[in-house]
Amino acid sequence: MTASRIGQRAPQREVEIEFDGARIRAVEGEPVAASLLVAGRGILSRSFRFHRPRGLMCSTGQCGWCECEVDGVPSVRTCRLLARDGLAVRSEHALPSVGRDILGLLDWGSRLAPPTFYHHRFLRPRFLRKAYLDVLRWFGGRGHLLASRTAWKPGGELRRERVDVVVIGAGTSGLAAAAGARRAGAKVMVLEADVPPFWNPPAYGAASPGAGDHDGMDIRPGTTTLGWYGGVVGVVDRHGTFEVEAGAVVVATGTYERVPLVGGADRPGVLSARLVARLIERHAILPGRRAILVGEAESLAGVGALLARAGASVAGPYATASLLAVNGRRRVSGVRLRDGAGTRVEPADIVVFSDRAPSVELLLQAGAATAGDAAGPSALVDGAGRTSVPGVFAVGGAVGPAGRQQDAMAAGTEAAAYAAASQGGDAPAWDGCAPMRRTRFAGTPDRRHRDGTGCSVPGTPHGQSPPPGAIVCFCEDVRVREVVTEVHAGYGDPELLKRRTGALTGPCQGKYCLAALACTAASAAPDGGPGAQPDAGAWLPPTGRPPVRPVRLGDLAGAHPLAVADEA
Amino acid sequence: MVARVRDLLQPGPAPSKADVVIVGAGITGLALARELAGRGIRDVAIIERRYPGSGATGRNVARIRAMQLTDELTRVAIACQAKYDRMADDLRFNVLFYRLGYAWVLYQQAEVERMRPIVEMHHALGVHSRVLSPEDTLRRLPVLRGGEPVAGAVLHDDAIVHHDAVVWAHLEHLAASGVRLVAGATVTGIERGDDGVTGVQTTAGAISTRLVVNATDGWSSELNQLAGVRTPNRPFRREVLVTAPLRRSVDAAITFYQPVEGWFNQTLRGEIVMGVVDPAELAGVDQQSSFEFLRRTAAVMTRKAPALAGVTVIRQWAGMYDVSPDHLPLVGPTRQIEGWWQANGWSGRGMLLAPYLAELLAARIATGIAHPYLAQFDPDRFDETSSAADTSGDYYARYKQETTESRPASQPAPEPEPAQPPYNPDHPRP
Repeated sequence: MTASRIGQRAPQREVEIEFDGARIRAVEGEPVAASLLVAGRGILSRSFRFHRPRGLMCSTGQCGWCECEVDGVPSVRTCRLLARDGLAVRSEHALPSVGRDILGLLDWGSRLAPPTFYHHRFLRPRFLRKAYLDVLRWFGGRGHLLASRTAWKPGGELRRERVDVVVIGAGTSGLAAAAGARRAGAKVMVLEADVPPFWNPPAYGAASPGAGDHDGMDIRPGTTTLGWYGGVVGVVDRHGTFEVEAGAVVVATGTYERVPLVGGADRPGVLSARLVARLIERHAILPGRRAILVGEAESLAGVGALLARAGASVAGPYATASLLAVNGRRRVSGVRLRDGAGTRVEPADIVVFSDRAPSVELLLQAGAATAGDAAGPSALVDGAGRTSVPGVFAVGGAVGPAGRQQDAMAAGTEAAAYAAASQGGDAPAWDGCAPMRRTRFAGTPDRRHRDGTGCSVPGTPHGQSPPPGAIVCFCEDVRVREVVTEVHAGYGDPELLKRRTGALTGPCQGKYCLAALACTAASAAPDGGPGAQPDAGAWLPPTGRPPVRPVRLGDLAGAHPLAVADEA
Repeated sequence: MVARVRDLLQPGPAPSKADVVIVGAGITGLALARELAGRGIRDVAIIERRYPGSGATGRNVARIRAMQLTDELTRVAIACQAKYDRMADDLRFNVLFYRLGYAWVLYQQAEVERMRPIVEMHHALGVHSRVLSPEDTLRRLPVLRGGEPVAGAVLHDDAIVHHDAVVWAHLEHLAASGVRLVAGATVTGIERGDDGVTGVQTTAGAISTRLVVNATDGWSSELNQLAGVRTPNRPFRREVLVTAPLRRSVDAAITFYQPVEGWFNQTLRGEIVMGVVDPAELAGVDQQSSFEFLRRTAAVMTRKAPALAGVTVIRQWAGMYDVSPDHLPLVGPTRQIEGWWQANGWSGRGMLLAPYLAELLAARIATGIAHPYLAQFDPDRFDETSSAADTSGDYYARYKQETTESRPASQPAPEPEPAQPPYNPDHPRP
């Protein structure tokens, strides 16, 4: 991966930042991770368990692969941190450095270390058991406790705001829903976690709104929704925390780009389409000269054109199913593709992927029913965007592929009507999607959603087995074969699978593994034990837990020196 | 062995009869089944509504503390900790028993003075706790530097375990024992004859039995009511949050009581788990997380340990404490119905106490002889008016009571005044 600047974007100011003691030139206001990429520092962290090299991948602040210690604050996502003069960035969790980490040898031994292996291996001799755990403890952890003792301002009283309809996410669907609710006369608030520098670049998707008052809609950029707390939405912004109480909630949280479930897919140089579009359009950075596109042609067209215009050679798009592996060691060197009956290797600097997985965390927290296909669980809604939980609507990407055909504006109008009806004190009638039974263990899920009651997402059987060495959960380095082993051992129930493998429990909290885990568990199920579901559509995700995004304790207590807007 | 766990977890109908039916597959139910099997009672069925460890067992942070505030409880806790120390050998499964250290951090001189006789009591029992000066406290626990000034700490070499590992260890052991686990089934009724319990009705079928153990902790009042048994236990929610993993930085499990009860410690994996208790928590089964908890915990922790301000919270959850009026569990048969046994009301100490007390309970079931330790846990020790007061979530309330009255350590703990009518499951949390 040889990233380079393509031309000048005026006006820009050069600044100097520090990375592991080296001075790096950067452009003021661009993400620190992008500056490091251009400086040839593609590896920003090492994975938790096997110390695999990781770098910039998603650019949405969700995957955590770009986490470094910045000015003494641990685990800062450098893709969301804007460069300014004198920032001191240090890599974490590597010996001696992320570039050459001798602990990377652990990856070679990873076949010998299934999840929970230490429960069975470190038993004898007894007097060494404590020492084993000391070593285990030494390997754990990433960042250091806050080194700089910058004082946090104490948090004030909890602010509470009341609106008729709160829309979470200011993408195309969210804004359409907000407009629909506004047209119906509702008081509307739109919560958007990102601040303008991080809004989607045009080549990737929707145009972004401005902040402030739009046709009576109160749009709040830089406002992170942390969770659904029984009818109230908990939020943090640069001033601290507040609660939003609303008559109806519209979840328009969109999608995550889904890392292909093949071996080597976490190598530095495997980049999301959103990131590539952002680097080229916003920061005039070409991440690599030879690009391979993987995913649906439709969603990759814009990015492909951008890459070609910037002077890269572009191959593909290839269907995700034809991708067999990503080759390389410390960075991408090429891909192995299915080619007719055989396979072939194609060299590349970067692999750009675009398949999407619905972002359903808030809906899971609310207890909304989900269904899904190989793309992972998505919200189950009726024609008006109603979920199974009264007062909760879902539009756009969170609904899955069907969200594209959805009339988000009409859903917003419905939400306004519900909020108005609930004003009277009586809960309005709710004929949203039939809820699935939330008791999973040993139970067959209620399949009412399949008999065509107006709910939109059919379950699709997933017949294909993912490669055993592919990584399902990147936070904990859980591989396909480990998930399969646990399903066969009888721990196929999603809650038990989560506890046994550690998948879904890392810092990304399942954003990058929920879909892959559902597919993998489903593929293992024909021979599976209790709780195993034979298709990904019927696989019910474990209980959703707040917060939706990682949040600093200091931010919850008051205002942070690296304020939310800096590290959005 | 592994394939047998799969058989154990395989859904199926309940057996038509069993010598013993245990309701609840948390640490209590699993440990009791293991102990019964060890004594040759293998015709045991465990009924579990969700999955093994789905209640408080899978939601706690598994601190295994020998030093307690009273003489009687410390004696029991020493045996309980020893049980965990042996568990890896007994079950051939590493439950990650690790002596992390445990510190009560004190913020008032009066607290330090109250703790001195308790430390003397510990020493008399062979627990080598010690009182640290403020300087030594900060040296031992640098995470507290820069925070509210401490008055001292009581430190002991206590342990943590991995709660899920404890569940799996028991499952693997039970899989080979002949015990049946009926998961995904709910108890719908209790059959009674003239001479006591005759059976249990479940959604997976009826089981005829003469002995039922209520091991449902947070849900024990509900189940007792189904059997027509009254207990004063009340369920209270406790919440937890966990941070992204950090390098080794906190070298003891910390608990404090001022201004409210709170605690934190670092797991072997590096995550910091923490919580600050809501003294006004209402009674009732509720496992929903609250925003207020996040805010409260952040505010208190960043005051006590400013270095924690930089850590990122990645997840929060909630579990249930089943609190009895004297904060001690109910372990043994009740005289209200023949054949109805209690193993609940753990009041937040289930992870510590259950495996060892299950051993004593199994012995009592098998032989009819009760170990002297069980006397203080007699389920019928409460009178009609006893109830868990609303402050029962506040451990400090009890601590103050015990220590300010300068009561000799050998006397039984007094029961708090009843402040509320007994918990009524028909009228849960408002």
